[in-house]
Amino acid sequence: MVFLLTFHWGWLLGSALLGLAMGWIAVVHRGPVVSKRMSRWLSLLALVLVVAALARVVPGRAGYWLDLVLVMFAMYLLGCAVGSWLRDRVISRSARPG
Amino acid sequence: MHGLFRWSGKWWPGVIPLLVLWAVAAWTTTPALEADLATRTTAALKDTVLDKMRIDVSGRDVTFAADAFSEDGRRRALGSAEAVAGVRQVNDESRLVAEAKPFVWSAERDVSRVRVGGSSPLPAIKGKLLEAARASVGGIEVVDQMNLARGAPPEFENAALLLIDQIGKLKEGKITLSDTKVTVSGMARDLGGREAIGSALKNLPQGFSVATNEIKAPPYVFQAYKDPVTMTLTLSGYVPDNNVHANVTAAAARKFFSQKIVDNLKPSVGAPTRFVNAVVPALGALSRLSTGTLVVTDREVKISGDALYEAAVGQIRAGLAKDFPQGWQLKAELSVKPAAAPVDPTVCQQLFSELLEKAKIRFEPGRAGIDPDSAGLLDRLVETALRCPTANIEIAGHTDADGENGFNQALSEKRAQAVADYLVKAGLPAERFTATGYGSSQPVATNGTDEGKAQNRRIDFLVR
Repeated sequence: MVFLLTFHWGWLLGSALLGLAMGWIAVVHRGPVVSKRMSRWLSLLALVLVVAALARVVPGRAGYWLDLVLVMFAMYLLGCAVGSWLRDRVISRSARPG
Repeated sequence: MHGLFRWSGKWWPGVIPLLVLWAVAAWTTTPALEADLATRTTAALKDTVLDKMRIDVSGRDVTFAADAFSEDGRRRALGSAEAVAGVRQVNDESRLVAEAKPFVWSAERDVSRVRVGGSSPLPAIKGKLLEAARASVGGIEVVDQMNLARGAPPEFENAALLLIDQIGKLKEGKITLSDTKVTVSGMARDLGGREAIGSALKNLPQGFSVATNEIKAPPYVFQAYKDPVTMTLTLSGYVPDNNVHANVTAAAARKFFSQKIVDNLKPSVGAPTRFVNAVVPALGALSRLSTGTLVVTDREVKISGDALYEAAVGQIRAGLAKDFPQGWQLKAELSVKPAAAPVDPTVCQQLFSELLEKAKIRFEPGRAGIDPDSAGLLDRLVETALRCPTANIEIAGHTDADGENGFNQALSEKRAQAVADYLVKAGLPAERFTATGYGSSQPVATNGTDEGKAQNRRIDFLVR
């Protein structure tokens, strides 16, 4: 994991920034929302992929690409969470005086 | 926290550019990552002794294939590969090098190359052996036919290095080491090579032994060539040591009174036993020939040439048969030199005087027996006597003044008679010769010095 972080820090930073931007927008965005049922399925998919990566069942390049996508996705999620939280704080601060 | 769940439902649109980003990242980083891992894995295994090592990297998975020389070494190599940062898992395709039983190693030399074959326990030892072979044989091509195997006996390296050093001493042959048993066969390069290899094999490491040693020595050759035109006797080939060398050249100097001796002999070990006992009589036989060659090869003596007269052929053969040591073989190819043109008695006298000026007939001290070293001179005297068949010859014996007159008189008579007998045996008619003894009554030099006495002890030939 440490190796992935040091070798791909540029790509991971890119994922995190992408997440940050998406999280920033998501707070005020009025687009379609992923249903609960769908998000459960997606969580299950993510879990299966994480388990597959940890168990190292996918060999060779595909295994590496799986690791890479999971790490990038994790950074994206982290970015999203930070972005949404920051945007939420900015909104609540500007709403209070009004 | 509740807000996070709410907002997360809207995070999905970013996943699409994320996937694009991922695809680009996977596309661009995979070859670089694989190359980096391959380099670092190879570096991590640099100090581990392996054969046929292959590192294949696919993603972060390393396939490690190699032949290891011990189970311990194999595990350590595997551990080193697994410890490389970034490697996800190692697919182990390594195995142990096959065990050779018996563990056979060999070095074979022919005229143009040295082939080193069989098994070697480690690549480093293999390299050392090849290097040692090259150093041992100089410019000759060294062909590596060794494979790697486990199961070498302890101290294999030292034993094999000692053995490969011997290959330089062979002209052709093979050295084989089977477990701890050494077999050597072939022909030594130089005289003494067989002995040198034999003594080197005594220094094999403990536990190793010589099963068979069938090294042959090259023939031990001694040659002598008597050339009547240049008046030289050329000696070449080998003698066992400096003592024998001195003996042989001294004998040659005594026997070949009129020849200049060209000495090209070299001392070398490996001579057959009783070398001197065979060579000195053979030189005596050669001295009786007009022109001839003596070749001694191991225990075979070949003498060829022209005797000075008919009877000499039989005498030379009989003399050699009597004098030769046991176990030696003799081949005599003797012919007779064509008789020289007859001359008148005056010329005959001149020829006798010339011969007796160059050398004197020698006798046993205080006795009348003719020294065998004088056979060459006597044969030349016979040859001369044959050229003047009408001349009668007085053979005059003289002594120095030492001792009693009566004894000297008798001794001179007996010596003169012995010479006359030699001529008669050679086939000359007895009535042509008169043997006379003069004791010390006709000195040609002073009897006061050893040199003068030596001159006074003599046999003269006087044509009447």
